[in-house]
Amino acid sequence: MVPESWNTQMVPGAWSQMNKITEFLKDYRIILLIVFIIGSLAAISFLGIDQGLDLRGGSIIQIHLEKPVDADTMNVVTSVLDKRLNTFGVKDIKVRSSGDQDVIVEIAGVKPDEVENIVGTPGKFEVKIQNQTALTGADIVSVKPYQITGTEWEVPFTVSVSGAEKFAQVAQGKAGVPVDMYLDDKLVSSPELGEGLANGVPSTDVVVTGSEATREDAETEAKNIQAVLQSGALPVSVEIVGISSVSAELGDQFKTGALIAGILALIVVSLIVFLKYKNPILVLPIIFTSLAELIMILGIAAVINQNIDLAAIAGIIAAIGTGVDDQIIITDEILKGDKKKKSRRKAGFKVRMKGAFFIVYASAATLIAAMLPLAYVGFSRGYTGIGILSGFAFTTIIGVLVGIFITRPAYAKFIEKFVATD
Amino acid sequence: MELEKFMESYKPLMAIPIIITIIAVALLAFNGLNQGIDLKGGTIADLQLQKPIDQAQLDALISNGLGINEVDIKSIDASKATVEMGESVDVIQFSGVINGTATLQSFRTVGPVLSAAALTQIYWALAIAFLFMSITVFIIFRNLVPSLAVIMAALSNILIALGGMSLFGIPISMASVGALLLLIGYSVDTDILLTTRVLKRKEGTVTNRAIDAMKTGLTMSGTAIGAMAALYIVTVFFIPSAQTLADIAAVLIIGLVADILATWFLNLGILRWYLERGRR
Repeated sequence: MVPESWNTQMVPGAWSQMNKITEFLKDYRIILLIVFIIGSLAAISFLGIDQGLDLRGGSIIQIHLEKPVDADTMNVVTSVLDKRLNTFGVKDIKVRSSGDQDVIVEIAGVKPDEVENIVGTPGKFEVKIQNQTALTGADIVSVKPYQITGTEWEVPFTVSVSGAEKFAQVAQGKAGVPVDMYLDDKLVSSPELGEGLANGVPSTDVVVTGSEATREDAETEAKNIQAVLQSGALPVSVEIVGISSVSAELGDQFKTGALIAGILALIVVSLIVFLKYKNPILVLPIIFTSLAELIMILGIAAVINQNIDLAAIAGIIAAIGTGVDDQIIITDEILKGDKKKKSRRKAGFKVRMKGAFFIVYASAATLIAAMLPLAYVGFSRGYTGIGILSGFAFTTIIGVLVGIFITRPAYAKFIEKFVATD
Repeated sequence: MELEKFMESYKPLMAIPIIITIIAVALLAFNGLNQGIDLKGGTIADLQLQKPIDQAQLDALISNGLGINEVDIKSIDASKATVEMGESVDVIQFSGVINGTATLQSFRTVGPVLSAAALTQIYWALAIAFLFMSITVFIIFRNLVPSLAVIMAALSNILIALGGMSLFGIPISMASVGALLLLIGYSVDTDILLTTRVLKRKEGTVTNRAIDAMKTGLTMSGTAIGAMAALYIVTVFFIPSAQTLADIAAVLIIGLVADILATWFLNLGILRWYLERGRR
């Protein structure tokens, strides 16, 4: 069978071919495409791509609160957890709330088995005076906002009655002695014991005070003490309900695997298109469009700081796949017209292209509609439950939008110039 | 033309996807779906083996070490193993048990609280996605019967995909739900192509237009299935740890094959039946 399109792209002379290419490159759709590709490449190289923890290695820990809490309490919970993790010297931690009852902790570059060590043990807070335990985290009832006067700071907090009695007993007669505060057996601060607390009379209202060289230092120290005290006093009890952890080596394997799969998929698709149309000129834009869309999706992700994880890669593959489908729809619509209505070709071209784009837009609309619930969950709740697929929804939607607004019009122009008969 | 004659007898052809859908629903009802650990709770770990160990030994090591019964060695070779455990396991305890035998490459544990929430979210996400897709289809065609035909085909398609998951033991998990959501939005592409070409074009007979649409549609399905097959093969052979990607690919392959039946037999059948009644 002789493919109908073969003779249509025979062009008399190299000169007119050159003209065509120049005209093609001057079209606003092509210029827009090129601008976007350059912009995306710049965004990727200057801003970088945020890789998901499953690609660069790291852990996601899901913490569930015993009951739903209001926004203020949630802030206390997240800042306490953040502080607790920071005292372990772990860098690159993100603690985020998800809804009103869940907290998500993301830690980069920590091996799977180190994770629970860090988060799993509930923060053990102890106050010791000359190695005698005076208070524990369980005794702290609430922590009030710190105050700064000049270079002096104070952090007031309340303890339980039993805690107050124990403290009074240990502290009696020890004014001026350092009060050692330990978080998980690490010494975090040793302010001096004030005279008012050393008289042996139990009081549930306790104030830790100190003075630093500058006001800034005083503020830092007060914040630190406040967080340390609070870490012993999470307002609600919490529980680790899920851990997901990937080593950096496995993350690398995922990346390599995804790359191989992507290249192989592109080869398979190109081969099918070549066998179907027997026209190598149609394979070129498919490869080019796929790469252009990949670059633009990653570029947009870099600009808005979207994580690219395994799910997001699946979304990129899906978006590029629908792009190939759209190109097939456009190509068939145009080639078919060429074959059937030789006499009314020119008039029919615009109509046929409109018909093709109706299908392209409608397909894009249904795909975005189906992805919206996922994108919404990811946007509002973050990386919890079905939110782990938010990257998938994001890259699919962005990919489809990039397709219908940038790459599809450019492809249509390509078909008009190089494949359809003049 | 043979194909044309074949396509003329659309009524018996409609029965094919309907019967397969019924079988799929029966499979779901009697065989059910496996649940991934996202949904039923549990632990999955990828191990880098430091010394050769066979499946039974590894199983015994873990189940004795942790004192749990439900240990399933998903895959094992000279250097790697994937282990699934029926309950939420403490990672410190686990790495203690495998210490000297293997190191942890990845670890994922899901407690009952999380898994209960996940199931509800999945049902909602699937239902709302389907609803949004249906509304979009109505807005596109503004014509009751053709829109319903598209939605019926999509429903048949999703049910067959779920039936296939039941048949091949692909677990319902966050990953396969992602594939199902994609399928909801993506499988209607061929239906939209068909409906647009048949209803909006004027040249040729309905059968001619349908056959033209079918040629385009089958190329689309072919490239999509080809790409997913590539993803599946690469995952299975090169990155077995990324089982989720293999599951996504498998669900999409089943769904895309089901889509061919649902579009060109069921959707086209309803459309022709509607056009013929309209003519009378």
